[in-house]
Amino acid sequence: MNEPVVVRGLTKTFYDESRGEVRAVQAIDFECRAGEIFGLLGANGAGKTTTLRMLSTILAPTAGSAALLGYDIVRDPGRVRQCLGFYSASTALYPKLTARETIEFFARINQLPEKKVPGRVDYLIERFGITTYAGARVDRLSTGMKQKVSIARTIAHDPPILIFDEPTVGLDVLNALELQNMIRELRGQGKTILFSTHIMSEAEKLCDRIAIIHNGRILACDTLANLRMSTGMHYLEDIFVHYVKGQA
Amino acid sequence: MFNARDIRVLYKRELRCAMRERSIIINSIVLQIVLYPALLWLVYTGISFVQGQTEGFTSRIMLRGIPGEHQLLRQELEKSERIAITESHDPEADLRAGSLDLLMEFTPAAAEAAAQEGNFQVRLTYDESKDRSSMALERVSELIDRYRDHFLDQQGRRFGLTSQQLQPIWVASKNVASSRQMGQFILGRMLPVFLIIMLNIGCMYPAIDSTAGEREKSTWETTLTYATSRANIIAAKYLYVSTIAAVAGILNLTAMLLTVRSVMAPLLAGRAEDFTFRIALSSLPLILLVDILLALFVAAGMMILASFARNFKEGQSLVSPFYIAVFLPVIFLQAPGLELTPAMALVPVANVTLVFRDAISGIYNWPLIGVTLAVEAVCILLLLWLATAILRHEDYVIGSYGGSFGKFLKEKLLRSGRK
Repeated sequence: MNEPVVVRGLTKTFYDESRGEVRAVQAIDFECRAGEIFGLLGANGAGKTTTLRMLSTILAPTAGSAALLGYDIVRDPGRVRQCLGFYSASTALYPKLTARETIEFFARINQLPEKKVPGRVDYLIERFGITTYAGARVDRLSTGMKQKVSIARTIAHDPPILIFDEPTVGLDVLNALELQNMIRELRGQGKTILFSTHIMSEAEKLCDRIAIIHNGRILACDTLANLRMSTGMHYLEDIFVHYVKGQA
Repeated sequence: MFNARDIRVLYKRELRCAMRERSIIINSIVLQIVLYPALLWLVYTGISFVQGQTEGFTSRIMLRGIPGEHQLLRQELEKSERIAITESHDPEADLRAGSLDLLMEFTPAAAEAAAQEGNFQVRLTYDESKDRSSMALERVSELIDRYRDHFLDQQGRRFGLTSQQLQPIWVASKNVASSRQMGQFILGRMLPVFLIIMLNIGCMYPAIDSTAGEREKSTWETTLTYATSRANIIAAKYLYVSTIAAVAGILNLTAMLLTVRSVMAPLLAGRAEDFTFRIALSSLPLILLVDILLALFVAAGMMILASFARNFKEGQSLVSPFYIAVFLPVIFLQAPGLELTPAMALVPVANVTLVFRDAISGIYNWPLIGVTLAVEAVCILLLLWLATAILRHEDYVIGSYGGSFGKFLKEKLLRSGRK
């Protein structure tokens, strides 16, 4: 139980008026190790976002448990969020704040000690090349600029665990590549990264270990090399189809 | 449960964003300062203009059966620049058609009134649905009164009596209200209405922007990932919306007080010196308290409703019924004789506006003020309790609930209460 992220029997059931009871996530188990990129690979509606939303305490689990750095997501949500940076396509920035104000605000509200805030903000602005537009409002920035500010605000409080939920959705190839490089760099700094995607090539390139998730269940979880070995297939796409069809 | 430091950080963020949002600046600040004083000035100037136009019309009247003893009255009518004597074959039809303003018929007096030779009854036929006709009635009545006084004066002189000696009772009225009290009376009628309107308008945009607006801009999920409790997030939003609402109310009051003389000038023509538009300094704390209570109440109500919307447009339609509901009690405040009584002190919104009206006039009924403040505080607490109960539902928090506030109340809160 020493891994930064430990998930045990995590389950989420929704009630939908038209579909009735929907079991979005069904008793999943996994662990993420320090300094690795752990990929959740699944089609749309597989349960990736629901899982990550539970880990980030946005949603409460119906059953099971999860702990981040030993903090339980139900009993200690504030601590969990403090040691976590959450980035997704649906976590937009506040359009009326400037880039600098955005990073400052997230550093403060995510409990970075006040003394460290100015130095941390300056470092991130320089690190991400935001200097020239640090004083510009977010609603006047280009998509690429916003993406940099978004990552900077995600790590503003220097969290040890980062969640990236389908981060490249809506980005062009160059911006997507730049984002992948940044994620690699964060791994290099020792961060534990949970990365969800439905793009096979992205998972292949980035993830140290991959969990294939389908219909709310984890069908396989291993390194790409081991997945290749156990299925006898080379391409992740084929491996993915193999497991999904196997379940069907 | 609450963390003052986190609430301060969040509150500053909300205010900073709001101060850069054009719609909030316009509706919560600029309109409060400029719009209503300007609008009122326009309306009052318009009313004065229309009144002037009506007064400028010549009244077309027809005389029927004027007796020889009173030909002087005919001369007086003819001399008047605002009256033209005309003829008609069918006076009643012409009155209805608007081509005649008044028919003046003389008939010999009957019964005791006929005791004196030359006594006559005058019947004035007019159409009250027409301004010109009503104006003709007013003019002719005044002229007849003057003529009668003059006639009586002449008759009295024949018997060696003056008109003063003939009149047993003289009516002389004296207004004991000072110019300041007169001004406070007018302010007491006007300001509560505008406070409610402007506070509502000032509150509406931030209330929607901080709830439905976040969903529309996809920042709600970002907000939910803060390393602070949801109670702190909601408290900061509530404080921010209440602040803007209270500031909107105060700005409007200040603007109205500073401009009321100029705004009312068209209506007070000739009587301006009878009115002093000033509020006692001692009433300011109570007025400020009323403003804050109203802001807290309106902000809570609007935020609850707006939070069920997915975008700004939906938010506006959800909040509008609340806006009207808050405004309704204020309409009754215009009823003459309505005062702050124990029963009225129990009616939310109306009670605080009555306290406000009294405070402007320097009247402080402390027991009833106490009841009013308690009632208002209970209402605010009820709304906050409702907000807390709603926030316990995850589908509402994450924005996946698709129903309205009424449906939510029925399906989730009342049903779970019954369980």
